[in-house]
Amino acid sequence: MASTTRSVTVAIVDDHPVVIEGIQTWLSEEPRISVVHTGEAVDVAPGIADVLILDLNLHGRLVIGSITTLAAAGQRVIAFSQFTEQRIVLESLEAGACGFVAKNEGRAHLVNAVLAAADDRPYVTPTAAGVLVGDRGASKPQLSTQERTALLWWFQSMSKASVARRMGVSVHTVDVYIRRARVKYAQVGRTAPTKADMLARAIEDGLVTPDEITGYESAAR
Amino acid sequence: MTAEVAQGVVAIRFANAVNVGLVVIVGVWHLGLDTMLVVRGWQAYEPQAVAAGSWLALTVILVVGSTLLLRSALSGRTARLLAAAALLTGAVALASYPPGEAIGDLSWAGNTVGWFGVLLLIQRPLWELITLLVANTAVMVGFLAADGALDQVAVSRLLAMVCTTSGIQLTFMYLARQLNDGARDATEIAAGQADLLARATADETVHAERRRRYEYLRVRVEPLLRGLAEQRLDPADSVVRRRAAVEAARLRRLFAETDDTPHPLLHELRACADVAERRGVSVTLLSYGDLPVLPTAVRRELVEGPLLLLAAAVTRARLTVVATPQDVVVSAVVDAPPQVIAESPGPLTVSAMYDQEGDQLWWESRWPAQPVA
Repeated sequence: MASTTRSVTVAIVDDHPVVIEGIQTWLSEEPRISVVHTGEAVDVAPGIADVLILDLNLHGRLVIGSITTLAAAGQRVIAFSQFTEQRIVLESLEAGACGFVAKNEGRAHLVNAVLAAADDRPYVTPTAAGVLVGDRGASKPQLSTQERTALLWWFQSMSKASVARRMGVSVHTVDVYIRRARVKYAQVGRTAPTKADMLARAIEDGLVTPDEITGYESAAR
Repeated sequence: MTAEVAQGVVAIRFANAVNVGLVVIVGVWHLGLDTMLVVRGWQAYEPQAVAAGSWLALTVILVVGSTLLLRSALSGRTARLLAAAALLTGAVALASYPPGEAIGDLSWAGNTVGWFGVLLLIQRPLWELITLLVANTAVMVGFLAADGALDQVAVSRLLAMVCTTSGIQLTFMYLARQLNDGARDATEIAAGQADLLARATADETVHAERRRRYEYLRVRVEPLLRGLAEQRLDPADSVVRRRAAVEAARLRRLFAETDDTPHPLLHELRACADVAERRGVSVTLLSYGDLPVLPTAVRRELVEGPLLLLAAAVTRARLTVVATPQDVVVSAVVDAPPQVIAESPGPLTVSAMYDQEGDQLWWESRWPAQPVA
């Protein structure tokens, strides 16, 4: 999982001050994370922080398009939203967001997502797992049976330990299945530096082999 | 498409076939026979421009009338107007004949006006066509009288002509209307029968549904209520309470089952969740993927596991639904004691387990969707 040891800077964009303060409180319990910017507007300069936590609905407007712009400039974005419709989650990831965290999923998932994103590593929340396993879009990547099962059961139980016991494998293996599934999603759709970084890190970590990600190359052409 | 609409289409097609036949007959009559007559007697008409003009005017009336008729856009007013115009043009044409030729070999417009009447007035009451034919005959008589040619021979020729052509035209009109009426009657009778059958089937379904619910109440709920009323069952007993919670949820689901909603499975799960939420259980329900249409029996079984678990949940419950082209997976995870899953799970249940370390019950049911043909 997220094994970063260096400090991580975070920017928070949300149109509700109470949410910003709530996120700050959550993140303050994690010494590696420091919040360097908070605001209500999405027009932040790319590179403002290692990770940008972005509320998808700012003043009644969906800002998925802004993720595309920010990700194209290499800014790592975590989509943070109370809206959990399949389309919104998939479009956020497609736009190049490193992760999607539903607002009701709580502190641990957000912190894990931030630390993972800072290292270009994938982190899939249970909500995002449900979205990916229920995806029947034309461009969805081919997932293995174990990857599908891990995603489905992670979505159902919200406990990797429970999934591991039911699958008869270690928690680490469950996590590998889930992360591999997520990395496959970085290969489909439009390319973005954030997706390329995630793939590069996945190869470096031995999560996937370069042979397995030919899909990314063909999509780039 | 309902039976009624399909039957209606048959009647409309039938009427269209009659109309097409009529347009062809009148078209051939005017463009073929009339043209031939006019060309053959061309030298005799005076003035020739009037003969040609009236032929052309009738052609225009024919085209307009036929188009409107075939497009079902011929209103009664337009039909009468066009018929009057045809009558007038016929009279003008007669004026260009040589004297006494109103019913002679050079005559062409008289019969044509009659056929135009059939074409234009097919959807009108019969008397309108009769009026037109009488007026048309009157015009011919008028011309013959004016030419002083109304002798015995002319009268008998006129009578013969009126009897044959007008007779044929009226007969054609009468038969076409009989056929149309027959088709409409047949359509109405068939639609009525289909309607009756549909209503009988619906009544039977509703009746069966009521019986099923009543049977359920009698077998499952009545003993529980009776036991409570007779104080054989103790409301403080946790087993009794759980049984009551399960039956309450089953009743809610049963009544939600026949509701008309876009996603009946989610609707039924929400109904069960609602019962649990009233007990203070925090319920999360998430669904991803496009749900296919599920038979009632399948929904009943998919909801059964979550229903049992929700009724036993102490503080929290998580319900998830994932639909893929291959299957529909429903799952429930709740904090509840393990003895809840003593009841034998149905064939769609993949797993019903107590996760000891997580101290939670985890139920999963899966319905394999039919492979897409």
